[in-house]
Amino acid sequence: MGHDWDFVTIAQNWGVLWVGLKGTLVIFSVTVVLGLGGGLIVGICRYIRHPVSRWPAMTFIEVFRNTPVLVQIIWFYYAFPILTGIEVDPFLAATLGISLNTMAFSAEIYRAGIQSIEPGQWEAGKAIGMTYSQALRRVILPVAIKRVLPALTNRGIEVFKMSTLASVVAYIETLNQAKLIADLNFNPIESYTVVALIFFVVLYPVVQATYALERTLAKGD
Amino acid sequence: MVEWNFLAVLADADLLLQGLVNTLKVTFLALLFGIPLGLVLSLCRLARARFLSMPAAFIVEFFRTTPPLVQLFWFFFALPILIDVRMTPYIAAIVTFSIQSAAFFAEIFRGGIQSIDRGQWEGAQAIGMNHWQSLRRIILPQAVKRMIPAFMERSIELLKTTTLVSTVAYTDLMFQANDLAQKTFRPLEVYTVVAVMYFVVIFVFSQLSIRVEYRLARSGESTVR
Repeated sequence: MGHDWDFVTIAQNWGVLWVGLKGTLVIFSVTVVLGLGGGLIVGICRYIRHPVSRWPAMTFIEVFRNTPVLVQIIWFYYAFPILTGIEVDPFLAATLGISLNTMAFSAEIYRAGIQSIEPGQWEAGKAIGMTYSQALRRVILPVAIKRVLPALTNRGIEVFKMSTLASVVAYIETLNQAKLIADLNFNPIESYTVVALIFFVVLYPVVQATYALERTLAKGD
Repeated sequence: MVEWNFLAVLADADLLLQGLVNTLKVTFLALLFGIPLGLVLSLCRLARARFLSMPAAFIVEFFRTTPPLVQLFWFFFALPILIDVRMTPYIAAIVTFSIQSAAFFAEIFRGGIQSIDRGQWEGAQAIGMNHWQSLRRIILPQAVKRMIPAFMERSIELLKTTTLVSTVAYTDLMFQANDLAQKTFRPLEVYTVVAVMYFVVIFVFSQLSIRVEYRLARSGESTVR
């Protein structure tokens, strides 16, 4: 281990890394909201026993769960513009790939949550005069979402890690900037170690909080 | 309207198939090393001795909370300088994905082992087995059965994650796709075909895992996640 660790260069290039961190935060915020929000709609469509909503939702979920997210991002970047004539920049390609992938995964989480609710809850909603959608919105969903909260948090953690894939289509985020610093200063060890540490420091408390949440919910149920 | 032309893709289909073989090879080797390593990590984490459980917990949490792409870059660009070894994309991929999946497998093993009733340990002890014997002959066989669905799900995740090796120029399916798309100027067809290839392989594995899970559930086996 004769390596002289040199973190000074990283500190000097903090501005470069900061731009990347902001990029990571932007793409994470957008994709986590679209992914977990859109997933709720897809999950409900998948749950409802109506072929018009169910089949498209099922196809969407299977396609996006059974292909790698990197393939999705690259497909949206290089293939989608040819197919549709829509211009796609790195941000849009990565956002589409990560959001749609997350929608498919979280849809299955929401569906599992809704299915875990006892039929008695539906019947009780109906008994006090609620329509199907009222019962779903006011009785079923609040309980269902609470039950799947740990699974959703885990998905959120995955989304944060997935944001690094945006660097493959040259979207400016943390890993992309670390690569830049590493290439310019010949210090890949320090650059990539710092990125790994940043992700660890951000996500470790979130993971611990998820464990705590799981325990609390397990006790309550 | 777009004119689809798959002839260019078909002419080089063997390149893509070779890529698929390489993808499966990396996945298989990462599983081969990752599963035993995961078992070791989980046993260390469950050990009473803190000098075993604390490092194991750190390794598991670190590799679960950092992005696999960052890990791959670290093992490919940083490690060779640090310990002065030659690193090929292939070796870097296997090292990264073995350790990364070991971290996830460790948590599955831990969940499985902890889900076994205390009475099983006591029963084993009562007939004169020591800790290792009880673990090997009584606890693990029952725990592993419960872990099968989680194992299969993780393996599928691993297969999808291996696409990252294309970024360090290992000739997996994704890399071959990038190569072919540039050569043929047909990114739409190439990437669509490759997405379909991934879909077919992963879909088959997912269906298989759903079937296994269903059969386990029917045999009254509870499973861990």
